[in-house]
Amino acid sequence: MTVQDEVMARLTEVFRDVFDDDELTVFPAMTAKDVDEWDSLMHITLVLAVEKEFAVKLNAAEVGKLENVGQMVELLARKAA
Amino acid sequence: MHGTADSAGGSKAAVARARAALAAGDHAGAFAELRAAIRPQDDFTEQARIARAFAKVDAGALGLRPLKVAVLAGSTVDHLADVLRFWLAASGFAAEIYLAPYDTVAQTVLDPASGLYGFAPQVVWLFSTHRDAGVAVEPGATVAEVEAAVDAAVAERTALWRVLAERLDALVLQNNADIPADDPFGNLAGAAPWGMRTALRLYNARLAAAAPAGVAVFDLDHVAGLWGRARWTDPRYWHHSKHAFAPDATGTVAAAAARLLAGAMGLGKKCLVLDLDNTLWGGVIGDDGVAGIALGTGADGEAFVAFQRHVKALKERGVILAVVSKNEEAAARAPFESHPDMVLRLDDIAVFRANWSNKADTIQDVAETLSIGLDSLVFVDDNPAERDLVRRALPTVEVIELPDDPAHYVEALARAGCFEAAAFSAEDRRRAGYYADNARRVELKRAAVDMDGYLDGLVMVATVGGVDDFHLPRIAQLINKSNQFHLTGTRLTEREVERLAAADDTEVFHVRLADRFGDNGLIAVLILRRDGEDLHVDTWAMSCRVLGRTVEEFIANEILARARRRGCRSVVGRYVKSPKNALVAGLYDRLGFAPLGGDEAERRWSLAVADRPDGWKTHVRVAEA
Repeated sequence: MTVQDEVMARLTEVFRDVFDDDELTVFPAMTAKDVDEWDSLMHITLVLAVEKEFAVKLNAAEVGKLENVGQMVELLARKAA
Repeated sequence: MHGTADSAGGSKAAVARARAALAAGDHAGAFAELRAAIRPQDDFTEQARIARAFAKVDAGALGLRPLKVAVLAGSTVDHLADVLRFWLAASGFAAEIYLAPYDTVAQTVLDPASGLYGFAPQVVWLFSTHRDAGVAVEPGATVAEVEAAVDAAVAERTALWRVLAERLDALVLQNNADIPADDPFGNLAGAAPWGMRTALRLYNARLAAAAPAGVAVFDLDHVAGLWGRARWTDPRYWHHSKHAFAPDATGTVAAAAARLLAGAMGLGKKCLVLDLDNTLWGGVIGDDGVAGIALGTGADGEAFVAFQRHVKALKERGVILAVVSKNEEAAARAPFESHPDMVLRLDDIAVFRANWSNKADTIQDVAETLSIGLDSLVFVDDNPAERDLVRRALPTVEVIELPDDPAHYVEALARAGCFEAAAFSAEDRRRAGYYADNARRVELKRAAVDMDGYLDGLVMVATVGGVDDFHLPRIAQLINKSNQFHLTGTRLTEREVERLAAADDTEVFHVRLADRFGDNGLIAVLILRRDGEDLHVDTWAMSCRVLGRTVEEFIANEILARARRRGCRSVVGRYVKSPKNALVAGLYDRLGFAPLGGDEAERRWSLAVADRPDGWKTHVRVAEA
């Protein structure tokens, strides 16, 4: 299991929790457009849950740039490394 | 406890259980699961998870009071609103929340056609921060200039309050200014008369002074301080999305506001129910005694004194105090009566219950005695098992999670925020006293109501007899040793008793009493004397052990029967004062005899036999012969 795979697995759990959908499938190309409830407010909730799960603090610029799952995984994998 | 949510697992599991309860249609059960899994101080992810799950609960099915709250803010409060809905439910409200569009506070208030007025809220929360206060002070400004700037900023607020008061019948919740942690002038910002912190402190003071009835100031600055000023704001989320405080403080802000609204809208707590051992003092009074408990001496003893002082201050601001302790009554009262370091006194306690009953039952009894709802009670007990029992049996009672160390009791109670209020009046100060008086009345009434049941439950059976060899010594003994219940104080030898029993005009009878607990033996002796149409009660001596059990009424019935048998028209009673028999000075009055006069030393009464065809009501039966 690569670091990316592990990050993806944990990220999937976070998405399912935040969007309250146990069936939600998360994939690298996924963006806010793919999830109905993923608006700018839910984005904050999502980012905070991600910060908690991965015990990281994203910087102000990063908070706004994570509207794509692939970017999120890369960023988290880099921070974990 | 409220909040085992230190790990996400706690609230995730609770959310799963809440979902299951919802699937079964149990909205109250779902809410209870969520409520038990979260504390105000838990982080935003926890708050959001609980709020999400709560959004599926039908708040209308919880029996909560509906409340329409409009929130007008100069910052992003959408996340706060979701979390607030949950904490308002925890404080007793089924809330509907209207959010004015971001940063449109003045327009929304001033425009009569704004969504605010269409919503017709009962509460308008003007959620402002130091950024919205509008206090502009030049470095180096004079005190007069600072005051003018502050007054202008406060005037902007009061203008909005006036418009809201004209157009709505709503409580206005007005934030004061959260004083920022960082300032270019550093210490000088709070030390110079023109410093920003100096100016904002003045603003907060003037805002409090300016708030009329109908406007409650929400002390946001205090919440910021409690949360921790250094982490109160998270600039990342200010710059990114205009969140004016750190997202993780959301639960703390929401719960504090909900508590204040509960107090302001009449859903505040009224009564603090206190355990004794290891809650008001260290140790166990029943084992350690008054001299052995930890109170006043040593660090723990001082901590208990500090806690008592806090409780006493609550009482003085109108909180009713009750004691519910598993103890012998006398032992439980002893420290209140004789420990020099006790701050709380017996007359501070409106209802005092020391017994060995289940505490949930006793707490229910306290609520009934005070005639207040269980949801008005706050329970403080160091014993986790008692807390758990009360939480399960009485879910509407607020149970404080006391830490192990008594040094932290004050903060545990104070930060639970149970006794928030929007205002304080002299009436509040007196309220605890009113409740205490009323509790005494209720107890008297209840005692009266229960007395009949109690006496019937005793199953008292009396045997009436004359003078025989067996009873003669006992009859003489009762006549000669009784002091308190002895109407005439007669002293007679056995020989004299025998002679009176044998004489035509006099009769002597005794009464024995048994009840379901056993035989009380010979408990009364009467000597009656006929004089024409009057039957005189020359001697009436009785054991005080059976006082108040309607034995007197039973004996009066017996006298009446004997008067009828002898054809007497009236019964004449006599009271001869002795140093010890004041107890029975009013006996004949109580039985309805008419006074015949007399003086301080001796008085007489009479009763017409015909006036009492049915005698007196008594719970004593005559034994079957």
